[in-house]
Amino acid sequence: MATATTEHYRAYTPKPFTRAERDSVTILFGGLHWRIERVLQAVLENSGYRARVLPIATKEDLLTGREVADIGQCCPTSFTTGNLVNFLRGEAKQIGAAEVAKRYIYLTAGSCGACRFGQYHQSYELALRNSGLDAFRMFLMAQDQLDQKAAMGDGLDLNLPMTLGCLWGIFCTDLVQDLEYQVRPYEVLPGQTDAVVKDSVEYLYEVFRNRPARTPYRSVFWHLTTPYFTRALREVYRKFSQIEVDRLRVKPKVKITGEFYLQTVEGEPNYNIHRWLEAEGAEVYPAAITVWMDYLLRLGLQRFEDYSGIEKGARLKLGLGRVAQGIYRWTFNRLRRAMGSLSHEIPSQFELRRLAAPYFHSRLDGGEGDMLVGKALWAYHRKKAHMICELSPYSCMPNTMSIGAMAGVVGRYPDLLYAPLEIKGDAEVHALSRCQMILTEAKKRAQREFDDVLARTGLTVDEVRAYLDAHPEMKRATYRVPHGDAAGTAANLVLHVARRLGRRG
Amino acid sequence: MPTLTLPRWLSKAPAAAPPSRASLRIGIPRVLNLWSTHQFWMGLFGALGIDPRNVIFSSDTSEEQGRQFGKGRGTVDCCYPVKCISGHYGELVFGQKQKLDILFSPMIYTLPSFMSGHVARTLTCPRVMAAPENIKAGFLKEADVFAEAGIKYVTPFVSLDEPPLVPKQLFEGFQDVLPGLTRAEMAQAVGEGYQALQGFNDRLRRKSREVLEWCAREDRACLLVLARPYHMDPGIGHEIEVDLQAYGYPILWMQYFPTDPDLMDWAFGEDIRAGFIKSPFDIRDVWPSSYSSNTNEILWGAKVAARIPWIACVIRLSSYECGMDQPTYTPVQQIIERSGTLFFSFQDLDSTKPAGSVKIRVETITHYLEKYAREIIARKKAAMAPGCPLAQR
Ligand code: SF4
Ligand code: SF4
Repeated sequence: MATATTEHYRAYTPKPFTRAERDSVTILFGGLHWRIERVLQAVLENSGYRARVLPIATKEDLLTGREVADIGQCCPTSFTTGNLVNFLRGEAKQIGAAEVAKRYIYLTAGSCGACRFGQYHQSYELALRNSGLDAFRMFLMAQDQLDQKAAMGDGLDLNLPMTLGCLWGIFCTDLVQDLEYQVRPYEVLPGQTDAVVKDSVEYLYEVFRNRPARTPYRSVFWHLTTPYFTRALREVYRKFSQIEVDRLRVKPKVKITGEFYLQTVEGEPNYNIHRWLEAEGAEVYPAAITVWMDYLLRLGLQRFEDYSGIEKGARLKLGLGRVAQGIYRWTFNRLRRAMGSLSHEIPSQFELRRLAAPYFHSRLDGGEGDMLVGKALWAYHRKKAHMICELSPYSCMPNTMSIGAMAGVVGRYPDLLYAPLEIKGDAEVHALSRCQMILTEAKKRAQREFDDVLARTGLTVDEVRAYLDAHPEMKRATYRVPHGDAAGTAANLVLHVARRLGRRG
Repeated sequence: MPTLTLPRWLSKAPAAAPPSRASLRIGIPRVLNLWSTHQFWMGLFGALGIDPRNVIFSSDTSEEQGRQFGKGRGTVDCCYPVKCISGHYGELVFGQKQKLDILFSPMIYTLPSFMSGHVARTLTCPRVMAAPENIKAGFLKEADVFAEAGIKYVTPFVSLDEPPLVPKQLFEGFQDVLPGLTRAEMAQAVGEGYQALQGFNDRLRRKSREVLEWCAREDRACLLVLARPYHMDPGIGHEIEVDLQAYGYPILWMQYFPTDPDLMDWAFGEDIRAGFIKSPFDIRDVWPSSYSSNTNEILWGAKVAARIPWIACVIRLSSYECGMDQPTYTPVQQIIERSGTLFFSFQDLDSTKPAGSVKIRVETITHYLEKYAREIIARKKAAMAPGCPLAQR
C-alpha cells in the first residue's frame, strides 16, 4: 500500500530553453512529410537555430510507443511518441541521457481542442519518464497561442518572420508535392520525377535558408509582395518541364483524406499508402497541409459568425478574419500560378461546409470535422477523383464520428467510391486488401470513363497519340491539361485534344 | 455566468406559450452528457410550455435495448457509451406506445462546469459532441426512418458553457418545430434551464457535504467515484459503486462534490500560496491541456481525493476504447496514490457487467478498507493543515 506523502503529484514541467543555448541545442521535430520537414529545417536555420528532422516513424516506433505510454492511445500518438523515444534512446546510448537532455529539445504541435492531440503531452511525458529521460525538454506549441515564452523560455522566439517562413514553406512544398503525384504515374523515364523532386526540395531548402531577414511588419509586406518565392517556384517548374510523360495511361484517381497525421506522413505509419496506391496503378491526389490550415482558419472564424449580433466587435473581427483568409488563398494562388497553375486548387471552405451540412455540423471540431465529409462530396460532385481513400487511425475519437456520418452520404450517393481504412500500424494486409477491392472498382470506372470519352469524341487512342507526337510540348510534365468533364487524367487529355481538333466531347 | 444574465432575460419575459405545445411529445435519449444536463433541459422545456409528462427519456442502457432497437444501425466501431445510442434512438422511435412528435438529441459542444474560467476550455469529448450526427446516419442510410415514423429529428448544436450564445443556438434549433416561438421566449427559457440545473447541482453538493461532515464527525471512511457522468447509467457503469455501498461505505460522485469556499480554501489554499495554481479549480499543476470538461473534472476530483482525509478510497470507472480517459490513467492514479489513498480502477467497461471480477474486486476493496481506512484517514489528516471546515460542526 502506498504511504501518504506531503509532496503532491505534479505534471512534468520542462526546464526552459534559453537564448544562450541556441548555439548548442538542436531542435528536433517531425511527423510531417519529408518535403515540408526539409524546408521547415531551413526556416529554423534561417532564424538562427540548429534543427534536425526526426527519422520517419517505423513499426518499431509503434511498438515502443505502445509499450512506454498508457494503453489505448490512438495510433498516431503511439507512432510519434515511440519515434521520439527511440531516437533519444539511440542517442543516449552514444552520449548518455544527461547529454541528450542538454543537446536536444523537441518541438511539436500541441493543442487543437479536446481530442488527444491536445493531450499529447501526457503520452510524451510518460514515455520519457518510462525511458529514463525525465530531464529531456519537449515543448508543445499550441496552435492558437503563438507567444509561449512563459512556458518555453526565451530560447525559442516564434516571431512573425519565422511563422511566415513556415507558412510559405507549406505553400511551396504542397505545390511541389501535388505536381509530383500528378506526374510520377505518367513519367516515361522511371525515377525521373523522384530525382526532380529531390532536386527541387533541396533547391527550396536553400531558398528558405537564405531568406532575407526583415523586421516583423516589413516581413509581412515583403512576403506578400516579393517575387523571391515565385521566382523560386518558376525554377522548380523549369525542372519539372524536363520530364516527359505519357498521360494516356488510364489510371484511377484516388483522393487521400483522413486524420491529419495519417494523410500527411509518407511511410509505415500509413502503410506507405501513397506509394502503394501508385504501385497498384493509381494516380494519387494527396492531402495538402494548406487545405487543413484553411479549414482551421474557417473553424476559428465560425466563432465570430456565431457571436455576430451578440458580442460587440464580433462582426468586425469576422470581417478582418475573412480578409486574412482571402489573403491566405490569394497568396497560395499566386504561388500556384508561378508553377503554371498545375497543382490542384484549394477547395472553397464555404463549399465544403455547404456540401457537408446535411450530414455533419460545421461547428463540430476535432480531427477534420465536417471537412472530411465535404471533401468526399466535393471530389465526387466535381469529378476530382474516382475514389476516396480515407485514413482513419485506430482508436481516434473525432475521426470515427465523421466516418460514421459518411454512412449517410454513401446511403444517399451509392456510387461514391469510399474506402475508409482503419490504420492500426500493424494490420497492413487487412487494410490494403480492403483498399484493393475498392481500387479494382475504381480502375473499372476509370477505364469506362476513358472509353466513353473516346466514343463521345470519336477519337481513337492512336489518333490521340499521333496528335501528341505532333505536339511534343503536350508531352511535357508542365503542359497543363484543363480539367474537363472527367475525373481521370487520360480522359481529360482526350477531351482536350478533341477540343483542340475542333471536335465535340 | 448564467446567473448574471438571468435578470436581463427575465425582464424580457414574454407572454405564456401557445397552448398547442402542451400536447407535443418530446423523446430524449438518456445518454452521454444528458446525464449531467437533464435538469437544464427539463427547466427549458417547462418554460417553453411543454408538459413535463410529455418529455420522455429512453430507458437506462441495456444489452436488450440494443438488440431490440439498435441492431444494424451502428455506423462505426467505437466506445460503448456512443455505440449504445442507436438502441436509445430506436427505443424512442419504435418502442413507444404513444408516438413521439420530436426526437431531441442535442450536440453539446461545451458544458457548464464549476471549473469554467479556471481551465482552458470545457469542451465535450469529440465523440460526445458529434454522436447525434453519427447515430443519425444509421437511421438515414437506407431510408429516413424519422420521417417514416412522423418524428421530427431536432439536434441543435449547443455551447452550454457560453450562455450568451445558447438562446440563439436553441432558437435556431426549435423555430421550425415549436409553434409561435420567439427569440425572447427562448432566452427566458434558457435562463430557467440554467436555474434548474444550478439548483439541482447545489442540492446534490449540499448532500455530499453532509455526508462528508458525517464522515469527519464519526471519523469514518467514504469512497469517491471518478467517472464520466454517464457512468451513472447502470448499463454503462454497471452499478459497481452500489455493490460497495452495500458494505456500508458512503459513496460520493466527483460531479457533485461540494465546492464551498471554506472547504476549497482549506484544501487548496497552500497550493495557491505556493504558486502551483491560481485558484482551487485550476489544475495546471497536474494537467496542462485542460480542454475537456469531464476530463478536467476527473483530474480535479483526483486532487480533491488526495487532500480530503475521509476519502479513503477512489473508484475509477472507464469505458472500453475511451480515448479521453487513456492519457489520464497514470496521472490520476499517481495523484491519488501519492497521498496514500486507495485507488481501484475498473477500465474497459463494455456492454456486459464483468460480474465475477467485480465481485472479487469489491471484496478486495472492502478488505483493504477494513484493514487500512483508519490509518489512511489519520495519515492524510496529519499531512494536511489543521482546521478542516468539515470537522468544525
Ligand atoms: S485526431 Fe484522432 S488520431 Fe489524431 S491525435 Fe486526435 S485522437 Fe489521435
Ligand atoms: S469520453 Fe470516452 S467514453 Fe465518453 S464518448 Fe468520449 S471516448 Fe467515448
